Amino acid sequence: MAAAAVMNGNAPSADWPGRYYHVDQILEKPGPRTDPSFLAGSGVKEFLRDKCKILVIGAGGLGCEILANLALSGFKDIHVIDMDTIDISNLNRQFLFRPKDVGKPKAIVAAEFIMNRVPGVTVTPYYGKIQDKDDDYYMQFNLVICGLDSVEARRWINATLVNLVDPEKPESLKPLIDGGTEGFKGQARVILPTMTSCYECSLDMLNKPTAFPICTIANTPRLPEHCIEWASVLEWPRVRGEQKLDTDNPEHIQWLYQIASARAKEFKIEGVTWSLTQGVVKNIIPAIASTNAIIAASCCNEAFKIATSSAAYLNNYFMLIGTDGVYSYTFEHQQREDCPVCGGESLDISISREWTVDRLIEILIERQDIQVKKPSLSSGGKQIYFQAPPQLEEATRPNLEKKVSELIEDGGEITVTATTLPFNLSLRVKYT
Amino acid sequence: MSTTGESQDIEQATSAVTDAPDNKTRRYDRQLRLWAASGQSALESSRILVLSSSATATAILKNLVLPGIGHFTLLDSAIATAADAGNNFFLNAQESIGKPRAKEALPLLRELNDSVDGEAVLTDVKELLKTEEGRETIRSFSLVIAHNLDKDVLDELAGLLWADLTNPPLIAVRSAGFLAEFYTQFHEHCVSQPHTDGTPSLRITRPFPELLQWARELDFDNVDPTTHAHIPFVVILVRAVDEWRAKHDDRLPITPAEKNDFKAQVRAMKRKLDEENFDEAEAQAWRVWFEPAVPSEIAALFTLPPLEAPASSTKTGADLPPSPNPAFHALLRTLNTFVGSPGGPGCLPLSAALPDMRTDTESYVKLQNLYRDRARKEKEHFTELLTDIFPNVAQEINEEELDTFLKNSHQLRVLRGRKWGEWDKDKAAVVESLQISPRETGTHLALTALSTLLSQTPDGSSVTVDALRAEVHALVGKDVELPEEAELAIGELARSPTAELPNTAAFLGGMVAQEAIKMITRQYVPVNGYCVVDLIDSTTGVVGTP
Ligand SMILES: [Zn+2]
Repeated sequence: MAAAAVMNGNAPSADWPGRYYHVDQILEKPGPRTDPSFLAGSGVKEFLRDKCKILVIGAGGLGCEILANLALSGFKDIHVIDMDTIDISNLNRQFLFRPKDVGKPKAIVAAEFIMNRVPGVTVTPYYGKIQDKDDDYYMQFNLVICGLDSVEARRWINATLVNLVDPEKPESLKPLIDGGTEGFKGQARVILPTMTSCYECSLDMLNKPTAFPICTIANTPRLPEHCIEWASVLEWPRVRGEQKLDTDNPEHIQWLYQIASARAKEFKIEGVTWSLTQGVVKNIIPAIASTNAIIAASCCNEAFKIATSSAAYLNNYFMLIGTDGVYSYTFEHQQREDCPVCGGESLDISISREWTVDRLIEILIERQDIQVKKPSLSSGGKQIYFQAPPQLEEATRPNLEKKVSELIEDGGEITVTATTLPFNLSLRVKYT
Repeated sequence: MSTTGESQDIEQATSAVTDAPDNKTRRYDRQLRLWAASGQSALESSRILVLSSSATATAILKNLVLPGIGHFTLLDSAIATAADAGNNFFLNAQESIGKPRAKEALPLLRELNDSVDGEAVLTDVKELLKTEEGRETIRSFSLVIAHNLDKDVLDELAGLLWADLTNPPLIAVRSAGFLAEFYTQFHEHCVSQPHTDGTPSLRITRPFPELLQWARELDFDNVDPTTHAHIPFVVILVRAVDEWRAKHDDRLPITPAEKNDFKAQVRAMKRKLDEENFDEAEAQAWRVWFEPAVPSEIAALFTLPPLEAPASSTKTGADLPPSPNPAFHALLRTLNTFVGSPGGPGCLPLSAALPDMRTDTESYVKLQNLYRDRARKEKEHFTELLTDIFPNVAQEINEEELDTFLKNSHQLRVLRGRKWGEWDKDKAAVVESLQISPRETGTHLALTALSTLLSQTPDGSSVTVDALRAEVHALVGKDVELPEEAELAIGELARSPTAELPNTAAFLGGMVAQEAIKMITRQYVPVNGYCVVDLIDSTTGVVGTP
């Protein structure tokens, strides 16, 4: 899957006199809010243009913008990772892609476009997952910018960069700049792993995804969404059996749409459409070019300020709401002492002595600050419940019915692991 | 695969042709979920004039071409410099140096979206402003956007566009280094779809006959347990209000103690502890004490006098142009009549939208149909009134516009703007703003001072901290002490007076396009005033709102 770096025909010597007229006004002298450590002049220019190596994660809505901004700002060694291919619905905002590129890997097309448009810049694409790369790979960068739409991927890179920090080696601390958008809203933040609040610290700020109770879907549908969920969650596995639902396959959406429409008709519910069906099953988040441009620019602006020390950088969270006028809020999000990634303390959880292991697992799944799908539990090397492999699941299944208090003493620790969790979560149990 | 399977596939394939969205809908899917077909069609019929093809100007246009505006014109006589080639993504790097900037940028912008028409006009706006034909060209667009336009030219342009009520709005953008601002100039902007989260009334304290009948006739004590646990909260609350009124001289709960009593009354209607519909009714009890017939913001619109032509208008007497947004104002006046009409509900028209609630399918569908029928009846009444008072509007308005207006009647917005530069003449207001919002006001003043200095020496050679400070003092008065924030902005602008940073350009590109989209689609609510951006502190703020 990997693609080799495509070397740009124009070497860095492609710089023409006056090319950096604009950026150089900033780099040649400090401003009133510039840190005294800023070394104006050729030193900072050389670092930015010849030495600094930056990684962009995601070549989608934010990624396309980020790559263009970085290239124009003078970053010349840019790497980009993205596992997706281009879809027609990307073209309303992912401006490095054209209709002829549909189906091609985003990272590769974006990298080629930037190198053609901005001479002297090398963009090295990787078409694949961030999880394919090891610590050595991430260690080579000075900065990482994330423009992702997946919470899981963000948690992974966040945990990876926090773990990379070695107090003996200052260069092991890689600033992580993270952006995200939804419709007219967005946020950008600067994370200095271990030093400031990290992505995991603020997990509870995410909107809780709408989940419809299964009994509503099965027995008392009221909204078109309930009918669509019925089609995708209950009818698909029942009728299509082992076949995996592919939400990118129009035939699959069409099938769900028809099943949902029939159910809606039966219950006299109005409003099931193709577009709504697709929106519900793919969990589509509205996205527009302008919001992506704002947030990507904010991320790159922070990257530029951090890389050059030319001005104070964001401490540490910028939130924008553009629906009613322009409203933004800049604040310092506090590090959580019990953050499972960057905090030193384990997370306290208070439960009743009567609670079963099964109940505890349900609570863990619901907790907004934990967000885990299929947790496995153990304590001091003792298995409590494991989701996989099947033999171990079967062997530990009887524990689900047992009370937690029979297995763990007050103040005892439980280790939670899951494939979606990029770290081991340590819980300290307190009985109420 | 069996034969039946195949025939099913054929059936599905054929119906897929009719159901699955076409390529255009697929391309715009992620934005249609925000502004729908009506917003998209407004965008597609818009024509936008952009003065300059700087990095900022092309960044703004990029974010308008992508979602699919109808047409744009780049008006720019500049020749691309080495500096332009370095900071503008929509130029061909060194190859563009020495060539007309707008002409170089045009194809790179157009290739973003085949369905957008664009042209480059290599003329300075100063030339257009000189002739009536040129001025008419400027007025023919739906929106004008200017970036770092010379102060005096901008003043003239703003004056031209302000001269008539129906002239296009203007967005004036200024930037230098990490600091920037943009101003939205319009006489009036009406929004019938603000997408703010205002919740429409469910008529719990003013139930229509069918709803009241349901609540009164339902035998709460004797229905079977399943039905009882599925009574919609709306019906529970209507019943509870009805009973409360009977016991309290027809009054609603007002004091905190009464509100608690009311909630206790709802709780007492519960048969079993786990009846979630009653929990929901208690949680929604706020609707009982917060259900105005007309929200005060909407009542204020009823008494808003129509705009009168400005003194500078080019037309007089019988040629006086009509007030802008005539249909919207006709609907507003009809709405006022509707509220007071003896045949009406005595409040805003019912919105047919019903939130989800804990109930069974049958009750929900029944309730939804009651609301729909009632909303339709009220719409008929509204239409009769409209036909009576504004027959022309009634004839011309399309069904969808009318439905949108009625559905959103609880959250309609009317913004009244001010001419660019007017606020700055009100020294007392500016000085007061300097106290309240020192960073935004200080930055705005520093940028204004910078534009004065640059109109004398465009290369920035006269821009120093002292010169900027002197200009700011000339704006606010010599004795006004400048807050630290203003000094910081001055220092930053003296550092980078002519720097158009790629990130600042991209940030503005998003911000300004966003406001332009809001203005064109008449959905969401645009900024009214100066939106000031500081990309060192990463803040935005609005000052100078009329
Ligand atoms: Zn953390």
